[in-house]
Amino acid sequence: MTIDEKVRKTLKELEAKTPDEVNNLFAGVIAAVESERQKLVTRGTADESERERLAKELRDRWLARKSGIISSIDECWLKTAPKELKPAVGRAFNELRKASAVLETNELLKAIPLKRRGKRQGELIFSADAGTSKMGGRDLTLPGYRRPLGSVHPVTQVMREIEDIFLGLGFSIESGPEIESVYYNFEALNIPESHPARDDWDTLYVNSQVLLRTHTSPVQIRAMEKHGAPLYIICPGKCYRHDNPDSTHATMFHQVEGLAVDTDISFADLKGTLDFFARKFFGEKIRTNFFPSFFPFTEPSGDLAISCVFCEGKGCRVCKESGWVEVMGCGMVHPEVLRHGGIDPGRYSGWAFGLGVERFAMMKYDINDIQLFHQGDARFLEQF
Amino acid sequence: MKVSLNWLKEFVEIPVEPRRLKADLIGVGLNVESFAEAGDDCIFEIEVTTNRPDCLSHYGTAREIATLYRRRLKRLEFNLREAGAPASGEASIEILNPELCTRYCGRVIKGVEVKPSPDWLKQRLEAIGQRPINNVADITNYVLMELGHPLHAFDLSRLEDHRIVVRRAQAGEQLRTLDGVDRTLGSNDLVIADAVRPVALAGVMGGEDSEISSSTRTVLLESAWFEPVSIRRTSKLHGMHTEASHRFERGADIEMAPRALDRAAGLIVQLAGGEILRGVLDVYPAPRPRNPIVLRRSEVQRIMGTEVSWEEIERSLRGLGFEVERRGTDGWRVMPPSFRLDVSSEIDLIEEAARHFGYNRLPSRVKPAPPRIIGSRAREVELRVSDILVEIGYREIIPSPMVDPEENARFTDRPPVVVANPLSQDASAMRSSAIPSMVRTLKWNLDRYRNDLSLSELGKIYTTRAEGLPEEKRVLTLGSTGHRQPASVHGEEKRLDFFDLKGDVEELLGAFEMPGLTFEPSGGGYHEQGLGGRFVAGGATVALLGRLKEDLARQYKLRQEVWLAEIDFDLLLKTPLRHPSFKPISKFPPVERDFSLIVPETATYSSLEAAVRGLGLEETQSILPVERRRSEELAAGTIPKGHVSLLLRITFQSPTHTLASEEVEAASRRVVEALEPLGVRIRT
Repeated sequence: MTIDEKVRKTLKELEAKTPDEVNNLFAGVIAAVESERQKLVTRGTADESERERLAKELRDRWLARKSGIISSIDECWLKTAPKELKPAVGRAFNELRKASAVLETNELLKAIPLKRRGKRQGELIFSADAGTSKMGGRDLTLPGYRRPLGSVHPVTQVMREIEDIFLGLGFSIESGPEIESVYYNFEALNIPESHPARDDWDTLYVNSQVLLRTHTSPVQIRAMEKHGAPLYIICPGKCYRHDNPDSTHATMFHQVEGLAVDTDISFADLKGTLDFFARKFFGEKIRTNFFPSFFPFTEPSGDLAISCVFCEGKGCRVCKESGWVEVMGCGMVHPEVLRHGGIDPGRYSGWAFGLGVERFAMMKYDINDIQLFHQGDARFLEQF
Repeated sequence: MKVSLNWLKEFVEIPVEPRRLKADLIGVGLNVESFAEAGDDCIFEIEVTTNRPDCLSHYGTAREIATLYRRRLKRLEFNLREAGAPASGEASIEILNPELCTRYCGRVIKGVEVKPSPDWLKQRLEAIGQRPINNVADITNYVLMELGHPLHAFDLSRLEDHRIVVRRAQAGEQLRTLDGVDRTLGSNDLVIADAVRPVALAGVMGGEDSEISSSTRTVLLESAWFEPVSIRRTSKLHGMHTEASHRFERGADIEMAPRALDRAAGLIVQLAGGEILRGVLDVYPAPRPRNPIVLRRSEVQRIMGTEVSWEEIERSLRGLGFEVERRGTDGWRVMPPSFRLDVSSEIDLIEEAARHFGYNRLPSRVKPAPPRIIGSRAREVELRVSDILVEIGYREIIPSPMVDPEENARFTDRPPVVVANPLSQDASAMRSSAIPSMVRTLKWNLDRYRNDLSLSELGKIYTTRAEGLPEEKRVLTLGSTGHRQPASVHGEEKRLDFFDLKGDVEELLGAFEMPGLTFEPSGGGYHEQGLGGRFVAGGATVALLGRLKEDLARQYKLRQEVWLAEIDFDLLLKTPLRHPSFKPISKFPPVERDFSLIVPETATYSSLEAAVRGLGLEETQSILPVERRRSEELAAGTIPKGHVSLLLRITFQSPTHTLASEEVEAASRRVVEALEPLGVRIRT
């Protein structure tokens, strides 16, 4: 017997004589409510108007004032119930009415999902307002519905760009610890404690033998020890200085170190490679200028300046009217440093450089405050 | 250091304008930061690197200029008129610690009148930023700036027994230095003492008691050479950085000591009157030998990458004060001058040659590395993860890993690496959890009315180890808050919940080959009870994720709930990236079957899915939980208490044939049978 048939019979015809039998009868009806609703919810529809139609049909089938199943139950079961069963039927009927509230059109509309694809093959989904949202209607000038993308930090972007240039030249990437021994950070790099050059690096110490590396240069020694020569590497990473933070100083910042060691390397390779790198990074029009400097771990040592990217070398505030901006330190690897790395300086020579990534990013994107990189302000990040 | 153009011109002819001079000096490594016209003079500000103390004077700078423009450097000749008794009768000098003081020269000048310096001298000093004091003090200063050698003038009458004793201080000895500070000395400090007590901190600063004053009549002028390491130690220990210590710790010119003395003595007699007693008191027990250096032409070429003529190298080195002697066709034997302690090996000479040859004249070539087949595995993983993070909406942040250790302790038991000399308590340790940095960054943005955020950081955490350097582990941190989708014309708002975070972590881990990855509902200690979980593979925790505990959120004064995940990136680096391996696409149609289930609340979804997957049905393409409702949400009696209704959709598809309905029925039956032991029933 279908439910439709059941609800047109009286309790007597259905042979429900005890309250328990009445309750069982009603439980069956409630299960039917849930299962019919579930079927629709599961099925869903691709079409808004079809959804409305389906919801209305189900609602009417159950809740229509005259011919709905609930009103039939009212007519056939409740009104005709024998006196002794009336209270039980009344209670059960109220439960049913509560349970069937989920069949109100609004409730159903919420529950029935709109599906993108038709389930049956060959069924074309092409409803009247397909492709536009309900609230937006047909005003196509509304902004699109965008999926938010994330972003890569500008320091990472610049670092990757630098890495890509050197990877293209066949270099590989090395890394080392940020919390480093005094030996690797200073002594192996020819910077003994007794030399005033040590003061060029304001250092954060963990103890007398351990520090936060002040530059990526210790990776030079570690890589030489590990791989020997020939060696062509870059080492990107975080560095730390005992510097009070301001717009050009940060306690933590990033460097990229470069190192090439081989049997036939001269200052010409240093110049050519860094000139290539600088023009690839800053633009082919810039010019480079090398001038002598001093670092204990390179000799001859140099600074690389590029023609100012802001005034094209004419002289401006950024380049202090000189037309040139220093961008990195470089030099031929000091023979002592090669020796510390276990490489024979009589046979091999090398060049090295170290650059500040934040500084490169500041030049590339015209950023005037280094603190912005590390604050994580979304208003900054979303510009890159 | 400030350098006066007019002063330089006393030693060398300068054939170019200041602007050009600036550029040319930079070209040989003297970094001229700026220059400014001052009357008929021009003052250059030069940043001298630590290896070139010889350039911390006008004469030294003039030497570079003379070499640069191939001009003659004026020779220093000071003809003194000595008079009266021998100085040795008036004062004596003794060096007790020759390992710390190699040479000590003194002269005695009697009958001086201490008064203000004449205008020309005052102006010279003022032009280069020095404050005039009195004629004798100004002259020592003047000679320092001219020749680079620090001098000190004592009032001889204040020295007990007229004796100079150079010795280590006795621990606890007291000295009030010229800056008026009483200093307690240690045995590592070298002092100049008289017969009784210290009168100067050697090479750093004089003592107040023996200072030249208007009543001074007899001056003992000191010109010495102190061991750089010792001066540096004392200057650092006492926090005193002076013009004298600056030069001595870099290495002064030992041969300049008596000459600077003569220069100053001559000026004193000229400006303060008096007479120079006969003879220099020169205590120089063990003259320092200098060793010649062999310079090979082949090595010059190997490093510079070009051939440089014999003559050009010789001219540069000789101009800079080196004695150069050709040796056959191989190269030279070079004796460095006493003022170039920085030059002790062949490479130092090559740098000198290269500097004056001009870096810009050197050739240039691009030499790529030998091509390599294997790339960086770590970088490959980083790029893949970064791509996914951008795709799912995370913005990368790079906070400093330096944190407050107390804050760090809220999130982990691992000890952070504490910094001995931090700039502030806020940044006094290297974090052992990356969560505080993330929470702080979320807060920074929430406090600035940025309410919808998804941030990621690929950084490190650090922790101390019993031995060796601290451990550094790479960790990927995710932090999000606010809406996944804010309300707009296009749809209703959707706030982020646990499953948004979990989905993001699943998306990331899905890029890796990670068999046996399971989820367990127990997060980190800082996660809300019941809203935290972890992914585990091979017994190791791959990721922790969940909502930040309410009390922590309150401590941080966060305006809304935040979601946090930390992923062990070192573990990801050890895990292979999922390597796509093509499976033929089935030509046959998929069949969906919906299972309307009644599930005890104690049976987790993952146990259900595991049971179904455990069947190993080849045709099972996907398993999707479509709807889950708890008994309370349903009409009473719909399902038993303590149960949920779950709608499970399974898609079956065969790679070889169209599934017959009997096959699908059979598979469905097996699914139901597999679920029964978990207390799951099919709804009828």
